[in-house]
Amino acid sequence: MSANENVMIIGSGVAGMEAALMLSKAGKKVILVEKLPIIGGKTIKNEETFPNLDCSTCLVAPIQQSILQNKDIQVLTYSSIEKVSGNRGDFKVSVRKKARYVSLELCLGCGMCYEVCPVVLKNEWEENLADKKAIYVPCSGSLPNVPVIDREKCLNLNGTEECTKCVESCMFAAIDLKDTDQVLEFSVSGIIVATGYDIYDAAEIDRLGYSKLDGVYTSLEFERLFASNGPTQGELILRNGKKPESVAIIHCVGREESGYCSTVCCMSSSKHAHFIKHKLENVRIFNLYSDICLTDKNYQKFYDSVKSHDSEFIFQADMNSINIEEAGDKLNVKYLYKGKVEQISTDMVILANSLVPPKNIVDLTEILKIDRDKYGFISVEPYEIGSVETSRAGIFVAGCVEGPKDVQSSILQAEAAVAGILAVINE
Amino acid sequence: MGDKIGIFLCECGPNIASKVDMDRIAAEIAGLKDFGDKELVIRRHKLLCSNEGKKFLEDEINSNELTHMVCAACSPREHDSTFIGVCKKTKLNPYLYTMVNIREQCAWVIPDKEQSTDKAVKYIHGGMNRVLYQEQLFENQLDSNCDVLVIGAGIAGVQASLNLASKDRTVYLIERAPELGGKTTRLHGLLTEQGSNLNMISQKLAKLKKNPNIKVFTSTKLESIIGFQGNYEIVIRNLVNNDTTEFMAGAVIVATGYELLHAGESAYMEFSDEHDVHCGLEIEALMAQQKKVLKKNGKTPTSVGIIHCVGRELSGYCSKICCNYLIKISSYIRAMYPDVPVVHYIRDLCLPTKDSQSFYKDVREEGIEFKYISGLNLKGETVKYADPYGTEGTDEHDMIIYAKSVIPAMGTKELAQLLNIDLDEYGFIKEAHLKINPISSSNDGIFAVGAAHGPANVADSIIQAKAAVAKISTQLIPGQKIVPEVKVSEVLEAYCTGCQTCLKVCKYGAIYFDDAKAVSVVNGAVCRGCGNCVGSCPSGSIRSRHFTNPQLFQEIKEAVR
Repeated sequence: MSANENVMIIGSGVAGMEAALMLSKAGKKVILVEKLPIIGGKTIKNEETFPNLDCSTCLVAPIQQSILQNKDIQVLTYSSIEKVSGNRGDFKVSVRKKARYVSLELCLGCGMCYEVCPVVLKNEWEENLADKKAIYVPCSGSLPNVPVIDREKCLNLNGTEECTKCVESCMFAAIDLKDTDQVLEFSVSGIIVATGYDIYDAAEIDRLGYSKLDGVYTSLEFERLFASNGPTQGELILRNGKKPESVAIIHCVGREESGYCSTVCCMSSSKHAHFIKHKLENVRIFNLYSDICLTDKNYQKFYDSVKSHDSEFIFQADMNSINIEEAGDKLNVKYLYKGKVEQISTDMVILANSLVPPKNIVDLTEILKIDRDKYGFISVEPYEIGSVETSRAGIFVAGCVEGPKDVQSSILQAEAAVAGILAVINE
Repeated sequence: MGDKIGIFLCECGPNIASKVDMDRIAAEIAGLKDFGDKELVIRRHKLLCSNEGKKFLEDEINSNELTHMVCAACSPREHDSTFIGVCKKTKLNPYLYTMVNIREQCAWVIPDKEQSTDKAVKYIHGGMNRVLYQEQLFENQLDSNCDVLVIGAGIAGVQASLNLASKDRTVYLIERAPELGGKTTRLHGLLTEQGSNLNMISQKLAKLKKNPNIKVFTSTKLESIIGFQGNYEIVIRNLVNNDTTEFMAGAVIVATGYELLHAGESAYMEFSDEHDVHCGLEIEALMAQQKKVLKKNGKTPTSVGIIHCVGRELSGYCSKICCNYLIKISSYIRAMYPDVPVVHYIRDLCLPTKDSQSFYKDVREEGIEFKYISGLNLKGETVKYADPYGTEGTDEHDMIIYAKSVIPAMGTKELAQLLNIDLDEYGFIKEAHLKINPISSSNDGIFAVGAAHGPANVADSIIQAKAAVAKISTQLIPGQKIVPEVKVSEVLEAYCTGCQTCLKVCKYGAIYFDDAKAVSVVNGAVCRGCGNCVGSCPSGSIRSRHFTNPQLFQEIKEAVR
């Protein structure tokens, strides 16, 4: 039995959290490293998950709570890996814990500080559809519910002026503007990488008009727009202040460019159609697709129901023929039907963006010294089918950082990685 | 000794203290007439969940020798476990404490301070009433058996057995067929590396045979199983000589694989044995045995049509693996016969692994055609089809290869009954929770891997096998006792009429019927305390510990007064 029973997990989405909880059940100590100030990953950006429309928060919040309350799991939010040395069974890892400036122990999450903060910024967590302050929590319901200060933007920390409004507003003396980054060293027997995905930047495809036309949204932007804890409290109000009467959902955005099918977008697009139809009864919805990919036995039933009740599905032999143009305060979606150009006039276009490797994947894999595949995802051992171990023994992978997958597949992979880690420890 | 109730009011910083009148709450509770004969210890604290707050609680419980405790604070979801943790450090039984939520249910939702204070007083009064009716409960410890029964020796079952078996854990692997290996052994190649699978599975089977901690039983079925996680009594039966073997195990993995839907079920597939119409698995078998695909008359095919999604309209789901394997088969054909036209008829391409699309593109570049269709009719080897816009066409081939829907293995229903686990509407084993607990079944301690709970490719099956291994390794640890839930149901025998309604509503198989006494009996180790049986019992003879009717009534009566 290896003396070292510590495990590091990088990324606190559903995969990372599942692995952490399981390992703690087996009596192992877990260090869970998360680059954002909150845990939970991208699943919590969704209002509901497909196909059963379970409330995401209801699924994930209890898991987040168990993580935060678990004595065997050390959660390092706002942190990133700096250096890894050693081998399977005995790694040394340096983690940079960025200064949060707000004490996780003292802060209660009352929110007084961000009410008084004078700096207004775009909130990236809300896909820039809402504002935040320089001291902020990314969204309501954040866990841990403790703000963080953006040190580039805080007037005091960036040297603009001696603003101490947040410090004065805090009744618990939880804010310390003299907080500093810490570099922590850990010795672990194995590592699980579960840093998730980003979405394909649709602005790369000029003909879709994303970032130029206000009515064009990414799938994640739509998720936030629909979320009851999001920028509009779930009201489908477009950037122009109106509610859509007609919506086009474009599948496979970036599939050609990325080189693979992202497997979850057909279901998320069907879900989006269902959401819209049930919120705005008279809306017309069009899904423009080329292949419907339904990777779970439970998916087709949902898709069939959306197809018969909520949305038209228009087959596209060539997704590249779709063009989106401005037409007054509407959008014209042009596409090919039987070889002829047809068009739909809509108020809103939702793009089903491909899932791509997370933005920091190159840096992370270089620090970890593990291989990426030709798409940029982390690759697993090629000669062992069903492997979850990366090219460096003792480092495992789970979830979308290995390739696009749905929540359950991410969780299964995380569990498989736990089996791998336990084998390392028990050797 | 008289009751001595500690009532702790948490200010939660300004969260509660600024929105309710803490002084008035304390005063009104102190003056409650129905508690006039009880000794009350009322304290307020800035933040009970802080380390200092927890120490404060612990000291108060000990120094006052409290018999009951009420914490009026935030949501139990947030800090119930915190306060239970405090109780466990003291002599106060944690089930003689209750939590009242005056933050989310009072302070945060009622703008008027007077009203929210009134409501808080009522809630706390309810909590005080309830806690007096609560009973001490004690956690039990049970020995557990860590051995595992694996049903099905396909790739998933074999993988799980290999990963689980150790000197502390025996694996009993049973297989209905006379040989091990399942359907994977019938394949010629896997997508990632052509021709590699037989090697892979034979290596695994060799390891299996060498492992002294894996007991393999071929031509064997599960005869009976009773018990619960950590304590199953199992009987298996040899199908050839009828011998039975008995043993104990702590967990079960179901890895019974899949069958394929018969193509004759789909009316648009008209062909007979004379025609060169083959399902994908037949081609795999031909390739594995003869290394080539020939027509039934021994000649080389001159035009091959490949039909996807046969039976999907009947099964009701996408079988997920077929597009990939049909593309793989077309690459076999292309390699054998570079000039033979090959046409795929597809409704939707499902390419669920990240490498499948580039593989698809490769075969397309090798001249293999993909026709999108909205419907088709096969007569012999002739395909009549309609494209997505309704335009019709006819193609003559002299060989047809098609994919059949993946359906649950034969006997899945009977097995599920034996194991007392739920099936989904398609007859596959149902997940405990599709999204967040996909590997567990509806019954604790029983797991389903591979195609037993839905179409899965080889890689997925192996990953699922490893997931089940992780579940079992973290839930059934050799030497560790299991601590069953204490807030479970119990039957009051004197009132039970023996109607057995409760047996039908129990999702967990936790209730059995004692024929001798003619009453229902709850197995506390299996019961999860959902309360379904309590609600369904016509004679009111089942109670749920910690959620008894008097407890709930006492709590509610103040709120609705």
